Amino acid sequence: MRSNSRYNLKETKAAYWFNAPLIITAIVFILIPVAGTLVTSFSRDVTFLPSKFLGLENYTRMLGDIHFWQSARFTLFFVLVSICLELFFGMIFALVLNETLPARGLFRVAILIPWAIPIAISGRIWQLIYNYEYGLFNFFVQFFGISDKPISWLGSSFGAFVSVVIADVWKTTPFMAIIILAGLSTIPGDIYKQAMIDGTNFIQRFFNITLPLLRPVIVVALLFRTVDAIRIFDLVYVLTGGGPGGSTNSLSLYAYNYYVTGDFGYGSAVSVAVSIFAALLAAAYIKFGKFKEAIK
Amino acid sequence: MLSKTDNRLNYFKWLLLAVSVFLLLLVSPNCSSSQKQFTIWIGGSPEEINFWETIVKEFEDEHHYHLQLVRQPTYSDQRRQALVVSLEARQPNPDIFLMDVIWIDQFVKSGWLEPLDNFAKKENFLTGQFFRKTIEQADSYNDNLYALPVFIDVALLYYRSDLLKHFGYQNPPATWQQLLDMSRRIQKEERKTDRSFNGFVWQGAQYEGLVCTFLEFAASMGGGIMQDDSININTPANVRALQFMQNLIQKYGISPENTYTEMKEEEVRRTFQRGNALFERNWTYAWQLHQSDNSEVKGKTGIELLPHAPGDSSVSALGGWHIGISKYSDMKDEAWQFVKFVTSFKIQKEMLMRIGWNPGRRDVYEDEEVIQKMPRVKLLKEAFDHTIARPTLPYYPQVTEVIQRYINNCLAGKESPGKALQTIAEELKQIEKLYEE
Repeated sequence: MRSNSRYNLKETKAAYWFNAPLIITAIVFILIPVAGTLVTSFSRDVTFLPSKFLGLENYTRMLGDIHFWQSARFTLFFVLVSICLELFFGMIFALVLNETLPARGLFRVAILIPWAIPIAISGRIWQLIYNYEYGLFNFFVQFFGISDKPISWLGSSFGAFVSVVIADVWKTTPFMAIIILAGLSTIPGDIYKQAMIDGTNFIQRFFNITLPLLRPVIVVALLFRTVDAIRIFDLVYVLTGGGPGGSTNSLSLYAYNYYVTGDFGYGSAVSVAVSIFAALLAAAYIKFGKFKEAIK
Repeated sequence: MLSKTDNRLNYFKWLLLAVSVFLLLLVSPNCSSSQKQFTIWIGGSPEEINFWETIVKEFEDEHHYHLQLVRQPTYSDQRRQALVVSLEARQPNPDIFLMDVIWIDQFVKSGWLEPLDNFAKKENFLTGQFFRKTIEQADSYNDNLYALPVFIDVALLYYRSDLLKHFGYQNPPATWQQLLDMSRRIQKEERKTDRSFNGFVWQGAQYEGLVCTFLEFAASMGGGIMQDDSININTPANVRALQFMQNLIQKYGISPENTYTEMKEEEVRRTFQRGNALFERNWTYAWQLHQSDNSEVKGKTGIELLPHAPGDSSVSALGGWHIGISKYSDMKDEAWQFVKFVTSFKIQKEMLMRIGWNPGRRDVYEDEEVIQKMPRVKLLKEAFDHTIARPTLPYYPQVTEVIQRYINNCLAGKESPGKALQTIAEELKQIEKLYEE
C-alpha cells in the first residue's frame, strides 16, 4: 500500500503546484460548466420569460414528455444495436487481422480509415449514398432491378434507423477491431498450441480461450463505446436531422433543439438525463463485467 | 567566450521572445484603424455572402464607417443558435443581424431588439413604402417597429401553360375545385403515356414547409391557426381544409404518395421541372430554375396566385429575412444608418436585379426598368398583398413541431382530420401553459 508518509511536506506541496494547472483547468472547464448545467436544469431559463427557480418541475415535465421518451427509446435502441454489431464485426476483423496474412500491415492501416474520418463528414458521405435520386444504393437497386422505383432510405422511421446504424457501424467498427486486436496480441500463443494438441477445434478454442481472455479488453471497449454512443449527436444531426418525424432524434439532439430555441432550463434537464443514462450504463458494465477483476 | 550551452540558451530566449511578440500581435485588437467599427452577422450561400460583401463595401464608401461582416453558416438553425447565444450573453456584437421571419417574435419578447420607432421618427422615415402586411405581420409588435424586411417570399401556383391550353383551358385555376377538376382530367389523359405524371405537387413532408402549406389551404378556405393572438386550430374550416389536403393524396390521387414522406421545396420543384406535374405549389425561387436551359418546362410554365375557396381570397404564407438592431449594440445610430441603407430603394432594386430576391418595398415593383426586365413582379406585388403570417409566438418552434407531426400523420392516412386537429389543439394547450406567463 502506498502512504503519504513516504513524502515529506515539501514534496507534497510541490506536487500540488505541479498539478495546479490541471486542477484549475478541470475546475474551470469541467466542474463549473457541469454545476452550471445542473443549476440551470432546476430553473426556468427561457429567453423570453423571467427566470425563476422551478425545483424538479423540468424533470417532472420530462417524465410526461412523449417526445423525450421517443428520443430515449431511439437512443437506447441505437446504442444496443450498433454496439452489438460493432462488437461482432470488430471481433471478426480482429481475428482475421491477427492471423499472418500477406500485407497485414496494409490491412491494419486500411481498416482504420473510417475511424479517421470526422463524424460529420462521414455523415455527409452516407447521406450521399442514401440519396433518393442519385445515391449509390438506389443506383444498385435499379441496376439489379430490385425495385422499379428508387427507395427512400431516410424517408421511413425504420429505414432512417437502419441507415444511422449502418453509418455508425461502418465508422466505429475499426475502433473495436483495433482494441480487440491489441487484446489478442497479449494472449500467449502457447495456450493455443496446447489446446490444439488436445484436439480442440477452432470454435472450441475461441469460446474457451480467446473470449475469456479477451473479456477485460472487451469490457473496456464496450464501456467506451456505450458512453460515446449514448451521446450520439453529430451523425444524426448531419444524416437525418432527427427525422423523419423525430424518429431518429437522439437525446443530445433533443436537448440541443431546446438550446437553439431558447429554453435552456429544459435543455439542461435533458442533458443531465443523458449523463444519468450514461452513468447508469457504465455502472452496469462495471458491476456485471466484473471490471475490478478484469483490471487485475 | 560563451560556452555552447549558454549560446543555445540565449538563442532559445530570443526565439521565445519573438514567438510571444508574434502571438501578442495576433491577439491584440486591430489598433491601426482609429475609426469605430460595428458588426453585422450574415449567413447563407456563398452567392448570398458575396452579395452582402459588396453591399457592405458600398456602404463604407458612402458613409465612412467601418462595418465588419462576420460570416455565419448556411443553415438557418445554426445561424439562430449563434445569435441566441451571443444575445443571451448580452454581447455588444453583432450590432446588426438578419432574422428569419419566424424568429422575430422570440427575439422581441426576449428583449433583444432595439425598437426602430425613435430612429424612424427622428428622420421622418416612413414604413409606408413597405408592404403593409409584411410590416404588420412580421416586423411590428404592440405598435412598435422592431425590424424591417430585407427580402421576403411568397408561394405561388406554377402551372403547365402548354397542357392547360392543349386541354382547352383558357385560364389557370382560381379555386381549389377548378384545380381539382383540371388535375383529375389531365392526369388521367397524361398517365396513358407517362405513368409518373401527377396533377398537383406540393410540400407535405414533416418539416416547416408543411405548416406553410397547411396555413395556405386553411386560410384560403376560411380557416387559420391564430385568432386574436391565441391559437385556435380545431375549427370546422380547418377540418375541411385538412380533409381536402388528405383527399388530394388518398382519395383523388392527384398528389403522389411521397407527398407526405419526401416532398419538400426541392423535391417538388424537381418533379415539376422534369415535366411530371401539372401544378406546383412553390416559393418564388422556382421560377428562374424552371426557365433554365436544362429544364423540361422552360417556356411552358405559368404563374398565378394560389387558388382559394369561392368567397375567400388567395393567401400565401409569408417567408423571408428581416434586419434588426441588437439591444446590446454600442453603435445603434450607425447601425440604423446601415438598416436604412439596406432597405433603401437603390439597394433593394439592385438586390432584385442582381440575385433575384424579392424586396420588401412596394416601389421597387413599380419601377419601369424592373417591370420591363421582370414582368413577373406584377404578380409578386399582388401576392405580397395577400400574405398570412405563421403564428407569431416566442415558443413557435415547439408549436410548429406539433402541427407538423399530426398534419403529416393525417396526410399519410393514419388519422382523420378531425382527430389530428383535436390532438394538435390539446398538445398546443399544454405548450401554451408552459410558456405563457
